[in-house]
Amino acid sequence: MLALVLALSSGVAGGLLVAVLPAARSRLRNLVVLFFTGCGVFGSWQVARLVWAGEQLRIAGRLGGLSFCLDPDPLGVVFALLAATLWLFTVVYSFGYMAGKAHQRTYYSFLLLTFSVTLGVAFSGNLVALYLFYELLTLATYPLVIQERSEEAMQAGTKYLLYNLSGAAVLLLAIVLTAAQGGRLDFVGGPILARGMKTGYNGLLFLFTVGFGVKAALMPLHRWLPAAMVAPTPVSALLHAVAVVYAGVFGLLRVVFSVFGPELLGELGFTALLPWVAAVTILVGIILATRQDELKRRLAYQTISHLSYILLGAFTLHPSGLAGAVLQMIGYAALKTAFFFCVGLIAEQTGVTRVSRMDGVGKVLPKTMAAFAVVTLGMIGLLPLGTFWGKYYLMKGSVAGGLWPLAVVLAGSGFINAVCFIPVVVKAFQGERTCTPVTERGGRVTLMLAPTLLLVVIGLGMGLFPGMVWPGVRAVVDWFF
Amino acid sequence: MTALIRTNLPVLVVIAPLFVAFILPPLARRIRLVEALAFLATVFGFGAAGYLAAVVFAQKGSPFIYQLGGWPAPWGIELVAGNLGVFFLLAVTGVSVPVLLFGRGNLTAEVGGAGRVTRFYVLYLLLVGALAGMAVTNDLFNVYVLVEVVTLSCCGLVSARRHPRAAEAAFTYLVLATLGSALVLGGIGLLYLLTGHLNMGFAARELGRAWPDYPHAVLMAVSFTIIGFGVKAALFPLHVWLPDAHATAPSPASAILSGLAVKGYLICLLKFLYGVFGGVLLRELAVHRILTLLGVTGIIAGSILALAQEELKRRLAYSTVAQVGYLVLGFGSLNVTGLVGALFYLASHAVIKAALFLSAGAIQQATGKRKIRELAGVGRKMPVTMAAFTIGSCGLIGLPLFSGFIGKWYLLLGSWEAGMFLPVAAVLAGSVLCAAYLLPVIRAAYFAPAPEEDWQDPGRPQRLALLMLATVVLALGVRPGPFLELARKAAAELLAYY
Repeated sequence: MLALVLALSSGVAGGLLVAVLPAARSRLRNLVVLFFTGCGVFGSWQVARLVWAGEQLRIAGRLGGLSFCLDPDPLGVVFALLAATLWLFTVVYSFGYMAGKAHQRTYYSFLLLTFSVTLGVAFSGNLVALYLFYELLTLATYPLVIQERSEEAMQAGTKYLLYNLSGAAVLLLAIVLTAAQGGRLDFVGGPILARGMKTGYNGLLFLFTVGFGVKAALMPLHRWLPAAMVAPTPVSALLHAVAVVYAGVFGLLRVVFSVFGPELLGELGFTALLPWVAAVTILVGIILATRQDELKRRLAYQTISHLSYILLGAFTLHPSGLAGAVLQMIGYAALKTAFFFCVGLIAEQTGVTRVSRMDGVGKVLPKTMAAFAVVTLGMIGLLPLGTFWGKYYLMKGSVAGGLWPLAVVLAGSGFINAVCFIPVVVKAFQGERTCTPVTERGGRVTLMLAPTLLLVVIGLGMGLFPGMVWPGVRAVVDWFF
Repeated sequence: MTALIRTNLPVLVVIAPLFVAFILPPLARRIRLVEALAFLATVFGFGAAGYLAAVVFAQKGSPFIYQLGGWPAPWGIELVAGNLGVFFLLAVTGVSVPVLLFGRGNLTAEVGGAGRVTRFYVLYLLLVGALAGMAVTNDLFNVYVLVEVVTLSCCGLVSARRHPRAAEAAFTYLVLATLGSALVLGGIGLLYLLTGHLNMGFAARELGRAWPDYPHAVLMAVSFTIIGFGVKAALFPLHVWLPDAHATAPSPASAILSGLAVKGYLICLLKFLYGVFGGVLLRELAVHRILTLLGVTGIIAGSILALAQEELKRRLAYSTVAQVGYLVLGFGSLNVTGLVGALFYLASHAVIKAALFLSAGAIQQATGKRKIRELAGVGRKMPVTMAAFTIGSCGLIGLPLFSGFIGKWYLLLGSWEAGMFLPVAAVLAGSVLCAAYLLPVIRAAYFAPAPEEDWQDPGRPQRLALLMLATVVLALGVRPGPFLELARKAAAELLAYY
């Protein structure tokens, strides 16, 4: 219980503290940010340990006639641990990236607030709490999206709000209808709708898919994500590749496994459509990515594609598919964060933001580009990296769930990923150098490079020793099947 | 003495502010004394409302009936402090205290000299007394009298500022509101003709017998009341007077007009619809469908019109038109859940709109700017004011943990129970539109570069008033408990014979 409170409150407390610290005391501020993020990470690990040990940590309250509760389960714990751990890396990277930039106080303060809100999404024990944190996530991240305050950033911010608030409104409708049908909104104790009247469930599933699909960037609801790439790179890395979009994915996993349940979903007509929506998003996303010249936009479209890997795994409604989804969630998040870190380093050090100007970057920034190359292999899903196992189980789940064409889609997507990024790597190492020569040293660069390389090492570690994440994944699969 | 006060409380709640309003004009020179007396009167009202609520709660919801002059109904006039009555009394008196506090020492700048300030307080107390009367009255003709008092004092409040625009707005309001009063009076007259009673309970019973014989007359009476109160409550498309009136009035007046006066008419409408005509008749005449349709158009059109406004106070005024749509939509749901939603939303909107209008007024006073895009950087320079505005906005958008969410939740659930999909969609679209018209204000205030000007939060009473309202928005959102319970009982009572 105490661990849960610690995990959830550290971000809010830190965010408020940062907000009142004088803007000029940047060193003190960094220490505060690091300390409170550390507290949050510690709290999340404690929660995870307790949940895996089979304890129930429940904080419940009431809002009028509505119950509101936090009740971490294995799936929530995986998401929370992932977010918390990556938050620590991102915070350190931000110390380097944001140094000397404007509006730092706002940045760190909302980064910490968002930390709490993300953990709130992970630990929500019922639909009301999930909706609350889902909505708050949009608002708490808005200042981070418009961090640059440029005209483009403001427009992107408006788009971001419009898409996400509309999505949340649809979600609220779905939740109200669920309340009207099932009466109960808590996740604990099996799927909510398992014993309902089963009328209008297809429509309900559609509403849930749209509501969470906006944040999960399910096509055609994905347009806000590439636009939100105007945010600073650490924000893009954490929020638009992990925390915010994962909140959508996480929500959909909740819908599949906690609201409807795989058995009931198998009987619904609309379910048959969902894997194909995911498949189309996977392929179209990555194909659109190959056509982007701006590096961050290319990564954004790739994110759209890879998020649907996870959804595809869930929509197979098979234990292996779920295992694949969770594995993919973990492996992909670490590598994608590293990927964005590399792109941010390249942009900060050489000013290169476009693929067409990448020639020779590898000679200037060898370590960064080496990390970039390894991550590229991970994005394709090759063995020494963690994402291989995710993909393996996703394919296994697809075949076992009787949807073998999905396995082909996954393989094809891996191939297009290769087409999309291998030439960039080759060009960076072989081409004629066009950018100004810079060193890869200095305190600021180290702050950015160290988390990047560490994440790549973790990605390799997960590939070589998948056993280290397997207990967490097994706990999720056992919980729902 | 205390026993005397206690037994006469339902009438004292109405009479006390009216009486204080009478004795204020001779004291006009001693402005501090005027302020103190007016404040005492509203605080007394709030205390009395709290006591009545406790009594009704202790009696498990059975009403505190007061017979004026000791004459029993149907001969005498009845005041009923039942669930609905104390619910609205709490809302009226609860909002009137912070709004009055906001005016303390601050009105001279907005309305001019001491004489005009006193006049403002006189009108304000008349309005509060009449609204309290609307909460407890159980007599059709009393409703008409109170409606007139509210209308005239509103009219005076709108024109309180020395400005040609204010005079014009007040005149438009006067013309349209008089039309509304005439319609209401027509409705009441028809009801009296049909039933021979002015007491609501007796009229309702009699109407149940009479209406098969006079279906057209009943239909006329229903339409007269809906249109009459609709004009006064700014129900779209009868809202044309509202934006000018509410945007030009001094900010405490805007707060009370948008927050409470409009609601008073809606409570009267509710009493007529469910207390006199009754649910069966409404369904028979398909009135609930008309109400729902009016609500839906009100929400959508009001929100879109609000979106088109560049001035902050006008945007808030149009937002009131949209919010009235929610309430009428809830009235049309014809089930307890929907009515609970409408009632709770009514109280929550009263508090929220007061907070929004007061903070907008404080901003306008400090900066002299009206347009939203000129408000860049206000959030940094006036933190308390903008915090209250932000909390109010979150409430109006309907984020969980803020009071608006609970109202919207029950409205959605109620509409769905009524088997209507359109209102459900409208409520949700309204929330998104509400975010679209309020968030730009917050964005400009916090995230746009601040100019080099010395803007400051208003004085201590003003800040206290804003904080009180913001706290209530949060408190109602997190712990709606007894207040929601009161709304639930009131709704159940209104639908008891249905």
